[in-house]
Amino acid sequence: MKKNLSPFALAAVTALALAASGTASAQSAGTWFAKGGVNNIAPHVKSGDLSAPSIPGTKIDVKSATSAIFTLGYMLTDEVSFEFYAGLPYKHEVVGDGSIKGVGKLGTIKQVSPTLFAQYRFMEASATFRPYLGLGLTYAYFYGGEGSGTLTSLTNPGGSPTKLSASSAFGVSPQLGATLTLGERWFLDASVIKTFIKNKNTLSTGQTIDTKLDPVSSNLSIGYRF
Amino acid sequence: MKYVRSWGLLAATALLLAACGGGGDGDQSPRVKYTAVVSFGDSLSDIGTYGTATLKAVTGGGKYTVNASDSKNWTELIAAAAGVTVPCPAQTGLESSGPLAAFAEAKTDHAGCYGYAQGGARVTNPVGPGNKALIGLGDTSGYVGQLTDPVLNQINRHLATTATGAFSGTELVTMLAGGNDVFINLATFAATVGAGGDATVAGGAAVTAMGTAGAELAGYIKALIIAKGAKHVVVVTLPDVSQTPFGYSQPASVQGLINTMATTFNSQLTSGLAGTSGVLIVDAYTQGRLQTASPVQYGVTNNTVPACDLTKTAFASSLVCSAATLITGDVSHYAFADSVHPTPYAYRLLAQYVTDQMLKAGWL
Repeated sequence: MKKNLSPFALAAVTALALAASGTASAQSAGTWFAKGGVNNIAPHVKSGDLSAPSIPGTKIDVKSATSAIFTLGYMLTDEVSFEFYAGLPYKHEVVGDGSIKGVGKLGTIKQVSPTLFAQYRFMEASATFRPYLGLGLTYAYFYGGEGSGTLTSLTNPGGSPTKLSASSAFGVSPQLGATLTLGERWFLDASVIKTFIKNKNTLSTGQTIDTKLDPVSSNLSIGYRF
Repeated sequence: MKYVRSWGLLAATALLLAACGGGGDGDQSPRVKYTAVVSFGDSLSDIGTYGTATLKAVTGGGKYTVNASDSKNWTELIAAAAGVTVPCPAQTGLESSGPLAAFAEAKTDHAGCYGYAQGGARVTNPVGPGNKALIGLGDTSGYVGQLTDPVLNQINRHLATTATGAFSGTELVTMLAGGNDVFINLATFAATVGAGGDATVAGGAAVTAMGTAGAELAGYIKALIIAKGAKHVVVVTLPDVSQTPFGYSQPASVQGLINTMATTFNSQLTSGLAGTSGVLIVDAYTQGRLQTASPVQYGVTNNTVPACDLTKTAFASSLVCSAATLITGDVSHYAFADSVHPTPYAYRLLAQYVTDQMLKAGWL
């Protein structure tokens, strides 16, 4: 989880770079556009310690997950756009870290994280290749937490299954991306998004653990201008 | 029209978002499939050897903790985590006499029960604390009449119950012993010093005896458990007996001696088992000291005072302690039930550490 760029991001960038240039098309003020693609979310977790009673330094890590994304955007001017990201749920594996590193999978948690971006696009509206910067507001909604025998054994050995839940939270998401025009209406888009987000995980034993998730999202989409 | 299409897409997305499932317990089964938990050792693992009908009826006791219907010691919690049936004592009975004669019950073996651990059991010597043989030596704890069948015999009894005289390899074996070797050797030390003997010499003899017991235990585990086919043997080191209410009641010099006795036993035990495949050593000594040093981290509210009021119990042991004989106040997160035995809460903490180590080893 310490990699700065996921393999997925590299693939996305490579795909963009390798793609053949298409005919120029307007990405100008008043244009609506939509995208569909895949997004990988790789949390870069800084975990707090599980509250008492626990082995000191009991931490967690959250594994990356990939899912489909859909976006809808609008060009306010030739340079400034708004874009809303939504998509299918992600299912992340939660594993032991810190003093419990090596115990394996503690459970899974699902999330959706719709994000509204304001973006600034460089180059001419008609340019084939347009990099852009964005800043978004993300709402990460966590649900469907599922425990495991491992989690139960660590927190309530021999007892009833320990359940797992995570609080939902808002986060700020800077974005770096680029579009490559493929034709009059179609385009490729890739972006990397860093989201700064903190939340609290709660167990049915009453214990809690705070985490800074700070994921890097890497996505590749195909888009259509209306 | 184009706006309608794009909003349609957004609506479809919203629907997809809404199609979310709920959470659940997840897969609770352990990674290793065990058929039984076979536990050897002393009172810390005893799940009811001395819970005779009269003792239970009169005192509500039976195990070395704060007894209640849901009070479990660590071996029972591990058995539940390992997904095996509730363990039962392999042998029951009590040879009580004198003022405690009413608790007596004939010794009986129970087929299909693998809880061999007995209160008072030592590693090799058949006479441990509470054994009736101590009465003749002036030790009134002997009136309790604990069977104290030592670990060596416990293992041999188990091997004798199987058709092949061996383990099947699918058992989870637990081992925790040495505490009663501390108590008996310490009593010998005290008697020697009390009779005018040299404390240094007597202390050295006690430490040497503990080293011998630790080495013997390692030998039994290798020759009678691992060599007989067991593949998962959890060996828990002896906790620091000096960090108990019993230990705290001793002078500092004796506390130091007790600590050395425990560390010597553990070092002989662990070095004797070094590199033995199928053995997982769980360092309860170090973990216990961590818990003593940071009780809050472990949710412990008191680690010096016993939860049981031993002036109210039938005799001075948590074996006969229940809700009726507790000190006043909330003792639910006390560490000790009596002068040496854990409360159900402290057993849970021990079980939690054992499961942590087992999970890391891929054993659970």
